[in-house]
Amino acid sequence: MLADAIRSEAYRLTRNRTVLSWSLIFVPVIVLAAAIGGAFFDARVERMADQLPPQVTAANSALDIGTILISSAGQLANPALLAFLLIGAATIFAGDYRWETWRLITARNSRANLIMGKAGAVKLMTLTGLLLFLLAALIGAVAKGLILDRNLIFDFGGQETRDFALLFLLGYVRVIQFLLLSLLAATLTRSQLAALFVPLVVGVAQGLLVTATPILGWSPVDWQTQLLFPGAAYETLKAVILGGVPAAVLAEGVVWRAVASLALWSFIPFGLSLWWFSRQDLSKE
Amino acid sequence: MPVYPHRAKLDRMTAVIETTGLTKTYGAVRALDGLSLSIPRGGVYGVLGPNGAGKSTLFRILLGLIRPTAGEVRVLGQHAGDPAVMRRVGSMIETPRFPPYMTARQVLEWLALAHGMNKDAAIDAWLDRVGLTEAANRRVRGFSVGMLQRLGVAAALMTKPDLVILDEPTSGMDPPGIQEMRALIRSLADDDGVTIILASHQLLEVQRVCDRVAIFNRGTLAAEGKVSELTAAGERLRLSATPLARVMTVLGDKATLDGDAVLAAIPRAEGPALLRALIEQGVDIDEARWVGADLESVFMAETGPARTEAQIREALHAG
Repeated sequence: MLADAIRSEAYRLTRNRTVLSWSLIFVPVIVLAAAIGGAFFDARVERMADQLPPQVTAANSALDIGTILISSAGQLANPALLAFLLIGAATIFAGDYRWETWRLITARNSRANLIMGKAGAVKLMTLTGLLLFLLAALIGAVAKGLILDRNLIFDFGGQETRDFALLFLLGYVRVIQFLLLSLLAATLTRSQLAALFVPLVVGVAQGLLVTATPILGWSPVDWQTQLLFPGAAYETLKAVILGGVPAAVLAEGVVWRAVASLALWSFIPFGLSLWWFSRQDLSKE
Repeated sequence: MPVYPHRAKLDRMTAVIETTGLTKTYGAVRALDGLSLSIPRGGVYGVLGPNGAGKSTLFRILLGLIRPTAGEVRVLGQHAGDPAVMRRVGSMIETPRFPPYMTARQVLEWLALAHGMNKDAAIDAWLDRVGLTEAANRRVRGFSVGMLQRLGVAAALMTKPDLVILDEPTSGMDPPGIQEMRALIRSLADDDGVTIILASHQLLEVQRVCDRVAIFNRGTLAAEGKVSELTAAGERLRLSATPLARVMTVLGDKATLDGDAVLAAIPRAEGPALLRALIEQGVDIDEARWVGADLESVFMAETGPARTEAQIREALHAG
């Protein structure tokens, strides 16, 4: 039954070319275009090398695709990708309110399954979007190597694989946590605009407020900061995965606060949406 | 082509819908007021009533879209809204809406998947059956109301439900489309054993297609029974009188012209008072007799309030 809900939502998403273009295609294409454009710019700079200071022309002898992949995995929760994935999520979560189509599907599945089906479709869309982003980064790196005539290397051992996998998982969880705010907004307001803008406003507000926490005497790793600002929790966990000095200075226990923050910011919006939707009057669409 | 070739005829004695004291209020408004109704399995059942009588509210409760304020309701023997029973119910409430970016075929494929069916399941057969084969690959955003109705009916029927609830299924359709829809509804009931409950303001259509009807008025059940029995019992007062215009004025929306006479859709108890009042006001009555009724006159008689003699006189003076 849940599988039916996910399959039907995913099918509907694949038929919405506008959403697919903006949510899945646009950002990877921009990333690819920027990488290729940047490579042509670099090539032009190299041709002018004898006219430029040596620190500008410090050429790389090889491009490490593995490093680029790990770096890209660390940028999965970037604002641009979040914002464009949000377009698809808002359409999935609020589309049935907007098009007055709830009554077509409420007779075919339980309300819990319908909401979980939508969340499942958003998770699949997010997974696809993140993979396309990484693919674009990978193709961009290869193109850069070809344009600049660099040697391409792929030094990806056990440590790199672990870092890449954990960063990908963390980025995925952070994006899903953010998109679930759209589910709550859609369910409470029945509005696609709210589903689109409420998470953006919350995200921007959190981004601004987190810089003001020192005024309250909170450090970035205090439990208040971690629990109130999932973005800070994400950065904490990213630092832990990448290791080095930033990880070394983290206080003991901060990892669990960060994990708890992302979990709470995911489960609370989802749980509230499920609770509200289960008793919602769907004849007023 | 039968849609349900393997389905045995279902027991017609069992009720598919049972409500007891069903009440739904919206603030101070009582959309349903203690409705007790039993709809038997099999055949086509019409639900009639003026706007605001409670038809759509009943349908929404039956489909689990809203919850009643009080009372009990059972659909196919289970609680309304139970997902297991809702999967056996097909419905189309008001003008159906669909995601505008999808084609008609994609809409049915999407709903088939939502129902746990193969997405190719008999889609072409259903598009053909509702006359949308040529529009199968057109986006829904360009559909007329009639085409949306057809697609809505296909969406309601494609899962082979035991019970189908249709709200104004022929709204927006042209006459040939209405004929086709009537034939489809009758064939589903007669050949496939599906119970169909439909609401419509097109009383002639209801009289042609329904076996039984319930007439709602102000959230209560005003009349219920076989169409043939109700029309036999319903009757109108046929008045040949001069001046006819004055009689029409007095009767208002309860009057219809029938050649050089007026048919008055009033309760029999109101007849003598009306005649006395008309005579006192100088209306010459050549003939007054009760005649058999169609569903429209039954509807008008049941849904309009009976007036007192004083109200009739007041209307007469005003006219």
